[in-house]
Amino acid sequence: MTIDMSQFYQVFFEEAEEHLVAMESLLLAMDIAHPDAEDLNAIFRAAHSIKGSSGTFGFNDLTEVTHILESLLDRLRKNQIVLHADMVDAFLAAGDVLKTMLAGHRGEAGADPAAVAAVCARLNQLAASGPSAPAARAAVAPVVETPLPQAVGSVASTARRSYDIEFVPTTLAAEDSRIIAALLDELRSHGDLQILSRPAVGSNGPGYWHLRLATGQSAERLGESIDFIAERDAWRVEATDSDTQDDAEGAFGLFENAAGLPVVDDSFGLFDGAPGAGGPDVIAMAEEGEGYGFFMPLAPAATPAPAEVQAADEGFGFFAPPSETGAAVPLVQSAPLAVVGAPAFAARRTDRPASAAAETSSIRVGVEKVDQLINLVGELVITQAMLLQCAEQMNGAAPERLVQGLAQLERNSRDLQETVMSIRMLPISFVFSRFPRVVHDLSSKLGKQVELKMFGESTELDKGLIEKIADPLTHLIRNSLDHGIELPEVRAAAGKNPIGTITLRAAHQGGNIVIEVGDDGGGLSRQKILGKARESGFQVSDQMSDQEVWMLIFEAGFSTAAVVTDVSGRGVGMDVVRRNIQALGGRVEIESITGAGTRMTVRLPLTLAILDGMSIAVGEQTYILPLSYVIESMQPAAQDVKTLSNQARVIRVRGEYLPVIVLHEIFNIRAAATNFTHGIMVVLDADETKAALFVDALVGQHQVVIKSLENNYRRVAGVSGATIMGDGHVALILDIPALAAMAKSAQMASA
Amino acid sequence: MANANQQSGTAHDEEQVSSEFLTFTLGAEEYAIDILKVQEIRGYEPPTTIANAPPFIKGVINLRGIIVPVVDMRIKFKLGTAEYTPFTVVIILNVAGRVIGMVVDSVSDVLSLAPAQIRSAPDFSASFDTKYILGLAAFDQRMLIVTDIEQLMTSRDMELIDDAASA
Repeated sequence: MTIDMSQFYQVFFEEAEEHLVAMESLLLAMDIAHPDAEDLNAIFRAAHSIKGSSGTFGFNDLTEVTHILESLLDRLRKNQIVLHADMVDAFLAAGDVLKTMLAGHRGEAGADPAAVAAVCARLNQLAASGPSAPAARAAVAPVVETPLPQAVGSVASTARRSYDIEFVPTTLAAEDSRIIAALLDELRSHGDLQILSRPAVGSNGPGYWHLRLATGQSAERLGESIDFIAERDAWRVEATDSDTQDDAEGAFGLFENAAGLPVVDDSFGLFDGAPGAGGPDVIAMAEEGEGYGFFMPLAPAATPAPAEVQAADEGFGFFAPPSETGAAVPLVQSAPLAVVGAPAFAARRTDRPASAAAETSSIRVGVEKVDQLINLVGELVITQAMLLQCAEQMNGAAPERLVQGLAQLERNSRDLQETVMSIRMLPISFVFSRFPRVVHDLSSKLGKQVELKMFGESTELDKGLIEKIADPLTHLIRNSLDHGIELPEVRAAAGKNPIGTITLRAAHQGGNIVIEVGDDGGGLSRQKILGKARESGFQVSDQMSDQEVWMLIFEAGFSTAAVVTDVSGRGVGMDVVRRNIQALGGRVEIESITGAGTRMTVRLPLTLAILDGMSIAVGEQTYILPLSYVIESMQPAAQDVKTLSNQARVIRVRGEYLPVIVLHEIFNIRAAATNFTHGIMVVLDADETKAALFVDALVGQHQVVIKSLENNYRRVAGVSGATIMGDGHVALILDIPALAAMAKSAQMASA
Repeated sequence: MANANQQSGTAHDEEQVSSEFLTFTLGAEEYAIDILKVQEIRGYEPPTTIANAPPFIKGVINLRGIIVPVVDMRIKFKLGTAEYTPFTVVIILNVAGRVIGMVVDSVSDVLSLAPAQIRSAPDFSASFDTKYILGLAAFDQRMLIVTDIEQLMTSRDMELIDDAASA
């Protein structure tokens, strides 16, 4: 094939990953005693999709593993064998192996061949020895028998037919006798199998196989299995008792050119000029492709269908039909495909529209396009603010309609901006979904029993954040599992439920997203931490508050673990976690009660490029305060402001005393108001602590677009970014938590 | 330095290839910088000051939506008087992936200088470290101090780049 497939690799990788993720979450959620039929089907379809598309790209390693997986899953969903826990683990292992293979094809480290072989062996063994479903189903055995398997989801008629199966196996299949053996076993499970012709032992080349199978299975179903193992376009399944080709399945075209094929007459009867001939089966084959995700455009009634179905085997509709199939392709253009009477075909068709509707509800868009869109909307907001300012300056001279139009414009741009921002937002379940697996694996590894509870999975956050928060959260969870949750015996002895619980919770709070990782384990030990800190030379005192003690565990190299395991204990993780979270502009806090549990709270700003801000004036400068921090503002009375011994100023607001941040002192600006009663105090909620910011005046409230200061300059303490005001000049956006910290340390320094 | 080879006087193209330089004045001295590093030239507008920044970093301005820091070379290198008149010029540079503005007294012209014309600078104590000086060029009656503006702007003493970010 000369078409360059590499342009489609990216789509394939993404789709395959999604399938693998879906498979894994279904497997983990599965109730082993009573598996849900729909779930089994979904897992089967995921494996089947991966098999099909990886076959298209020639990723045979993936195809092989998924084929074995799929056969086993197929038997499960048809209730031929019973599900048990070993199988679920084997499937999970297979999923992992597939992931590594995918990574290998993407150019990263590939799969370990030993692991691959082990997984295949395990799956085959389960397939061979799986206990069969009770009652009325004959056991699967290598001996030719006559079971009539229930076809769940398949639309084959149950009448037994006799099929001629001919194929030339791929070189790979021919060399590895297990593969053919597995195929023969599978065919035997469908019915009575006779081998009419097989390659002579020791012959060169893949050889030619001719089998006859009496089965109730449909031709399509058999076709699937054969297609996998045979050379492309070098196989055929045909009902021996039919004159018409209604039930024939096959790959048309190059069959005659496949190596090793005995010389037979050219036309297999499938290439008769008769329009309807290739039609229904061809379309039935097309139907096989359902659900690959990128196959949707193929409408059953489309006339170029026959040619495209060549593609269906290999391309799933997303590229133009290749011409490689050569002259023998029945370019049957006008087949009115609805004509054909095969009931199988009609039944399949009705399945399609439903899945079609579900599949077209999303579009893949490159991230660059979305970012570009967000930038443009940002510029729009700036322009609109500028117009608004101009109109205000006209002081009533502006025509009524202009003012109304501008108000409308502001509403429209606000809506547009909110919608655009939400494009980049994804639910946090994208991150949370991997944790059940982490907990599952780690808890069995550590011998602990842990249940994972998740809340607020639909909380949304920016896509960029999602990727970056996954690692720190994973580490926190592993930490909880390793250090927090005790062994079942220990828990039972303490009167706790032997099954520990890890709770993941996500919610929006102000302008932030708050993610909590909690456990009901043993909690942090103040003594141990202080002791370890002293040993490591940290400056600690017994007067430190609990909060400060817990924060010690974030110091690099800190660990109270007695034993270093490969999970944790080296003292590297928490430091990296805190740094990563801070790099995202967030913070992490710990609460813990000895004996009861620990809770780590991660706070991240929702990455908004547009911010609601309050502009304030200090001297001749204008600064922007993120509105989410502002609680209220007031003009202080002289008696409310007090000075403490260490020069710190506090102000009494509704009975509480809040520290005062004097902006012009921190920024060294000449302010208009140095007397507190001449300026304004803005009461702020700086993430858990309250403070009051002293400024000259409040200017106004607007939406501002956050521009990066650090792109061309560098980080400035107390400033989180900059923005462009309506009149074009730059205003700095204040970083409230940092300012509060700066004020505190300035006071301590001067004390 | 390359000029030793240039003395051969052959007419090979490679030796005759000149680069273009933008010349500007700071006080009484005239400097020349690679024109390819210059993005544009603007008039001076008062920038937004940044808290606690050194005096030669005047602040930041809005350049068509991008926030650009502005440094005043006259203050930094104590050349001339730092006045801001309608004729004061800000040269917007694009160096090391950053956009930076620098205030100068005036911009002269764009010249082509062949490598032969740039002679190595004697080790005189100039306003700034001679490691940023590529050489001296004579043009008409003027002496141009040919400067590696990228090196200069990204250097630590310009304080434009975080230590963590700089190489």
